[in-house]
Amino acid sequence: MRPLATLAVALLVSSPAFAEGMPQLDFKNPLTISQIVWLAIIFFTLYLLLARWALPQVAEVLEMRAATIGRDLDAARLAKAEADSAVVELTHATREAQASAQASIASAVDAAKAEAALRSAELNAKLDIQLNQAEQRIDIARAGAVGALRQVATDTAHVVIARLTGQPANDDAVNHEVGAVLTIRGQA
Amino acid sequence: MAAEHTIDALGQFRLFPALGPLGASVNFTQSNLMMLISSAAILWLLWAGMRPRAIVPGRLQALAEMAYSGISGMCTEQIGSEGKRFFPFIFTLFFFVLFGNLFGLLPFAFTYTSHIAITFALALMVIVIVTFVALRIHGLHFFSYFFPAGAPKLLAPLIIPVEIISYLSRPVSLSIRLFANMVAGHVMFEVFASFIVMLAGIGTLGVIAAIGPLALNVALMGFELLVAFLQAYVFAILTCIYLHDAVHLH
Amino acid sequence: MTETKGDREPSFEDRLRVARTKQGLDKPAPTSASADMGGRSAMGIGLRVGVELVSAMIVGVGLGWFFDRWLHTTPFLLILGVLLGGGAGVANVWRLMGPKKPPA
Repeated sequence: MRPLATLAVALLVSSPAFAEGMPQLDFKNPLTISQIVWLAIIFFTLYLLLARWALPQVAEVLEMRAATIGRDLDAARLAKAEADSAVVELTHATREAQASAQASIASAVDAAKAEAALRSAELNAKLDIQLNQAEQRIDIARAGAVGALRQVATDTAHVVIARLTGQPANDDAVNHEVGAVLTIRGQA
Repeated sequence: MAAEHTIDALGQFRLFPALGPLGASVNFTQSNLMMLISSAAILWLLWAGMRPRAIVPGRLQALAEMAYSGISGMCTEQIGSEGKRFFPFIFTLFFFVLFGNLFGLLPFAFTYTSHIAITFALALMVIVIVTFVALRIHGLHFFSYFFPAGAPKLLAPLIIPVEIISYLSRPVSLSIRLFANMVAGHVMFEVFASFIVMLAGIGTLGVIAAIGPLALNVALMGFELLVAFLQAYVFAILTCIYLHDAVHLH
Repeated sequence: MTETKGDREPSFEDRLRVARTKQGLDKPAPTSASADMGGRSAMGIGLRVGVELVSAMIVGVGLGWFFDRWLHTTPFLLILGVLLGGGAGVANVWRLMGPKKPPA
């Protein structure tokens, strides 16, 4: 409906018959023309004020902001790059630290192992010595015991023979027999 | 309905001297007063808006900057890199028309863009500037504009007058478009408003019936705001397109 | 605009890139230059065509009338003006509505 009204106005304004009713087409009225003169004056003044005074202010602020934002964005990009390189460095350092830690752990374990081995070797040696000593002592003891056994056997043989035969036993024969038996038993 | 006598839809466009006897002595009309108010409002918007000069703009500053960068974008987009030179002119034109349209919607205000003399003067100024720019840049080569390169020579007597008339019709269509739109809106306001008054005069039933045209006027007001913007935009962008043609001379 | 820290904000890099393009080469979406009248409605188009035709006709008739008075050739130039004005109106409408020429 509204475009139709607009078109109607557009068409009517171009027909002279309509000029009567429309104040806009009343060119006999001096005000119709004089307002154009004032329009020219006002428009030109407005143009000058805007072009020379008002708009440059806006431009200045906009440029300042663009510069600031550009600077900030550059700074942000720089900081970002720095942060990135720092992260890379950090990862690198972490990896290195991990590797060196691994190495030192390994070496410590090795050292501990070596130490342990050494200790056990020492202990073994000590134990060996003690074992030998003990064995020697046992041997001595056994030798002592075996010596005593021979005496006991000889004495016992003498007594047994004397009881059985009623005669004292021949020392040499008893010694010989006892020695033979002991040798057979492996306890000489 | 014998309403024709009571509806005076055109009286609102009548011109009167403004500013008392001083204004009358220099034929200063209420239309010119509205121009002054619009200009002052434009200047105030930029002045008050840009006063804080803040990096992070407040509302008014954001509005002022939006006005600036909107028109600036329109110039460079439509005209090209040369558009910056015409930016103050386009800015003045757009906001002069826009504020004229908008303030014209206020009660008791006068819409200077509803006067064909005003819109035609503006359009004529545009076309004179466009032609001047074209002559300045291209010299006499400008006249090749009236004869397309590929056209047959035989048709020159036909094409050239048609192209010249077409060129001269630019300010006419530019001014009629703005003028007709503004007049149509205001006439419709007046007609509907008259209906309200007439219906309300009938009686209780009439008062109820008057809600119809009242609602229409409310809806129309929203639409008129849109038209006010749109017509200012069209006026400015067509000026930009004409300037583009003048600079690049297709 | 205040940003809320925490969950699911776009990566810093994306935001930085967006901010940079916005500051630098902000290519606004190309808007059609033929923006005119209210919307694309048939009425709107009709109004555009009407205004173009009427204004060309006014110029044609005006020029014909003027030259007729000047050269005392009434009414021949007026008739010629009507014809040429109509032609110019059609040319205007063609320029407005016709196929778009590729930008030279």
